Amino acid sequence: MTLPDIIRWLTSTPINTLVMDYRWTWPISESLHFCGLTLMVGTVGTFDLRLLGLVKGLSPAALHRSIRFGLAGFAISVITGSLFIFGQPDQYFYNDAFKVKVVCLTLLGINVCAFYGLEARRVLALAAGEDAPLRAKAIAAISLTLLVAIMCAGRMLTFFRP
Amino acid sequence: MREVLEWLERNDLSVFIREWSSIFGFPTILFLHTLGLAMVAGTSIAIDLWILQRSRLTLPISIDGLNKTMWAGFAINTLSGIALLLAYPAKALTNGVFYLKMGLVVLAVYIAARIHRDLLPTDGARVAAGVPPQARKWAYASLFCWMAAIVTGRLLAYTYNVLFAYQLP
Repeated sequence: MTLPDIIRWLTSTPINTLVMDYRWTWPISESLHFCGLTLMVGTVGTFDLRLLGLVKGLSPAALHRSIRFGLAGFAISVITGSLFIFGQPDQYFYNDAFKVKVVCLTLLGINVCAFYGLEARRVLALAAGEDAPLRAKAIAAISLTLLVAIMCAGRMLTFFRP
Repeated sequence: MREVLEWLERNDLSVFIREWSSIFGFPTILFLHTLGLAMVAGTSIAIDLWILQRSRLTLPISIDGLNKTMWAGFAINTLSGIALLLAYPAKALTNGVFYLKMGLVVLAVYIAARIHRDLLPTDGARVAAGVPPQARKWAYASLFCWMAAIVTGRLLAYTYNVLFAYQLP
């Protein structure tokens, strides 16, 4: 199956009709996409800032409890983002900014796996005021950089449309 | 009103923001507005969720780092927001949703400052009392205001009546 075949299939689905034929589907999805983004960047970014030493007054475990809301935000963004792709697939698959966004999202996923595989146990045992290990700080710095890159690539989508 | 909007959108800075075709022009301003949103609303929401999960206060408590991030985001959004407004003043200022969004942002920022005041300073007595009950109510109000501000902000792109002042009756 080639890329044009996938695009043809996506545009022939009822989801495409839902997105393109109803006036408010796209605006509402975009609003929810930004709400999800803010939830994710807010909770994950704050946790990253704690690991980097900016909010040492709170324990990492206390802030980590909010990560589930960030995951919910991510799920909302993925669902609404998928609606956009079903609506105008050619505007995304041939868009360099979208490719950068997908690469950054993949790297973010690998970075999350690295955190839970290597550092989570030590970090979540830290009390308020205690410093995070250097490797955890590196993971947090990578996470913050990728979050900013994802927002940047997402915002640039409009200006790189084919 | 129309004369003021025409003057605003014809001044050199407005024309420059609107018409400079570089990726570092209007697209970068839009990105900075999103980055600022994530910083100001994101950190504020993170504090709200921390409060709502009945977190215990422990010494030393300090959310000053988050507070600084929030205000830095607010500064970025104020500047980028002014730039976006200057680029298309008629588009924003003739749309009721714009005023609703600004009202929600002002309210959300006030609530964030109020929550910070309720949590700090943290002395021994405050730790023993835990997170004050009113802080939880403010946290719910803050979540609502930020989400509503984000929704109305995004809807600005779909609810405007005119793009330029000359289109006004």
